[in-house]
Amino acid sequence: MKKANQIVEYVQANREQILKEWSEKLILMDQQRIVPVISEKVYINICNDYINLLITSSTNQQKNNESMISEFTQKIVQLGWTLGFIMDSLSEFGKIVFFPMADKTSEKEQVEFILDYDRWISPINVAVYNQYAETWQRTVSLQKIALQELSAPLIPIFDNITIMPLVGTIDTERAKSIMENLLLGVVRHRAAVVLIDITGVPVVDTMVAHHIIQASEAVRLVGAKCIIVGIRPEIAQTIVNLGINLTQVMTKNSLQKGIEAALEMTNRKVISTED
Amino acid sequence: MENESYVKIISEWDIVAARQLGRNVAKELEFGTVDQARITTAISELARNIYLYAGQGEIRIERINGRDKRGIKVIAADNGPGIQDIRKVMEDGYSTSGGLGAGLPGVKRLMDEFDITSSLEEGTIITTVKWTR
Amino acid sequence: MVARIPILKLYNCLLISIQWELDDQTAIQFQEDLLYKIHETGAKGVVIDLTSIDVIDSFIAKVLGDVISMSKLMGAKVVLTGIQPAVAITLVELGIHLQEVLTALDLEKGLETLQRELGEKAWRTNPM
Repeated sequence: MKKANQIVEYVQANREQILKEWSEKLILMDQQRIVPVISEKVYINICNDYINLLITSSTNQQKNNESMISEFTQKIVQLGWTLGFIMDSLSEFGKIVFFPMADKTSEKEQVEFILDYDRWISPINVAVYNQYAETWQRTVSLQKIALQELSAPLIPIFDNITIMPLVGTIDTERAKSIMENLLLGVVRHRAAVVLIDITGVPVVDTMVAHHIIQASEAVRLVGAKCIIVGIRPEIAQTIVNLGINLTQVMTKNSLQKGIEAALEMTNRKVISTED
Repeated sequence: MENESYVKIISEWDIVAARQLGRNVAKELEFGTVDQARITTAISELARNIYLYAGQGEIRIERINGRDKRGIKVIAADNGPGIQDIRKVMEDGYSTSGGLGAGLPGVKRLMDEFDITSSLEEGTIITTVKWTR
Repeated sequence: MVARIPILKLYNCLLISIQWELDDQTAIQFQEDLLYKIHETGAKGVVIDLTSIDVIDSFIAKVLGDVISMSKLMGAKVVLTGIQPAVAITLVELGIHLQEVLTALDLEKGLETLQRELGEKAWRTNPM
C-alpha cells in the first residue's frame, strides 16, 4: 500500500500543523453544545492520541492495535462525546489531511487517493465505532441489572396474610419476575390472602393492568386470594378511560381497608383491648 | 451432548415423550423452573396439534447459541393437510376441535420467537425459540 | 394396561393425589373412575392435589375442567390444590382461566375449604 505510507509520512511530517487545525475545528464544532465543559487542552490531547493511534497502527500488528483503540475509545466515551460528534471529527481529520495532499494532483489521482485513504483509515475508524457501541451496551446492561435488583419484596404481616408493595414502572420483563416472586412467596409463606399495593406504580396502562390481572389469576390458581390496594384517583380514571376491565380482580381503596378485608376473609378482625 | 434430537409423533404417548425430551433439554440449558414449564407446555401443545390434525409428524429440539445467551429451538413439522387460514388460527379462542382452543396463540405467548409456514402440499412447520435470560 | 390414579375416601370427601405426569389415557380413565366413585359413595366433596404435576397443557386443563363440571352435576364440589407456581404462570399465560374453580394451597387447606363450602353438617354426615 504505497499510498498509505505516503499518508502516514505526510501526517508525521506535518503533525503540529494538522493537530492545531484539527483541534481548533473540534472546539468550534463542540461549542455548539450548550455548556462547554471541557477545556481546550483536552481536545488537543485527544487529537494527539488519535494521530498516535494512526501512526502506530500502520506499523504494528492487529493485536496491539485493539488495546490501543480500546483505550482511546474509553477516553472519548468518558468525555461524553456522542457518536455523531466523533464521526464528524474523524471526517474533519480526513479533510484536513486530504486537501493539502491532493492539491496540484489530477482528478484521477485524487480519486485514487481518496480510495487509498479510505482503505487505510476505515478499519481503524470502524474499530473505534464498534468499541464505542460495545461500551454503551455494557453500561446499559449494568443499569438493567441494577434496576432488576430493585425487586419487589413479599412481606408477611399476619398469619396467612402477605403484602407485596410495588414501586416503579412495570415493564413486561419486570412483571414476569415479579409474578414468579409473588407466587413462590405465596407458597412459601402459606398465604391465604396477598395484598398487592400499587401506590408506588406511577403509570397503569393496559399493559400494566394486564400484568396485574394475570398475576392475580395465577395467585388464585395457586390457592390464595389477591387484593389490589393503592389505586390512586388518577389511576382509577385511566383504568376506566382505557376501558380496562378489572371486575375480576378484588380491589380496596386503601391498604387499611385491604388488610381489614383480608382479616375478614381469614375469619379474624381487629379489636381494641381496652374494652 | 448432541445439539439436535427429535421425537416422531404418531401416538398419544409420543406427546409425553416429546414433553420429556423438552424438559430434559430445558433443564440442561439451565432454564429456570417457570421457563421449563413454559417450554414443556409449549411442546406439549405443538405435539398435540400434530397428533390431532396431521396424524403424524415430528418434534425436533435443538440447542442453539445467540449473542451471550443460549436457547432452545423447537420445530414442529408435519405433512398434514396444512392450515387454511393462518391468521384465524392465530386468533385467541379459535378452535376446530372443541378443545380449550389455547393452541397456537398460547404457544406464541409462552415462547420468545414464533414462526409458522403452512401449505396444502407441504404441511405445516412451526418454529419457536426460547432464550435463557 | 392403563395406570389408574388411587382415590381415597375421608368422611364425606374423596381425596386424590396425582403423583405422576398425566398422559391422555390416564387422564380420561381418572375422569371415569372419579365420577364412578362419587356415584358409589355419594361423596359431596373432592380434593384433587396437583403438587407433583409440573406441566398442565390445554388438554389436561380441559380434562380437569370437565371433571369439575361433571362432579358438580353429580352433586360434588371439587377443590384443586397444590398447583405449582410455574404451572400457574404457564396456564395464565396460555390463556386458560379455569374460572369458577375452587383452589387451595394444599390438601389441608383444601379440606378446610370444602368444610366451609359444604357446611359443617354435610361434612360429617356419611350417607352410607
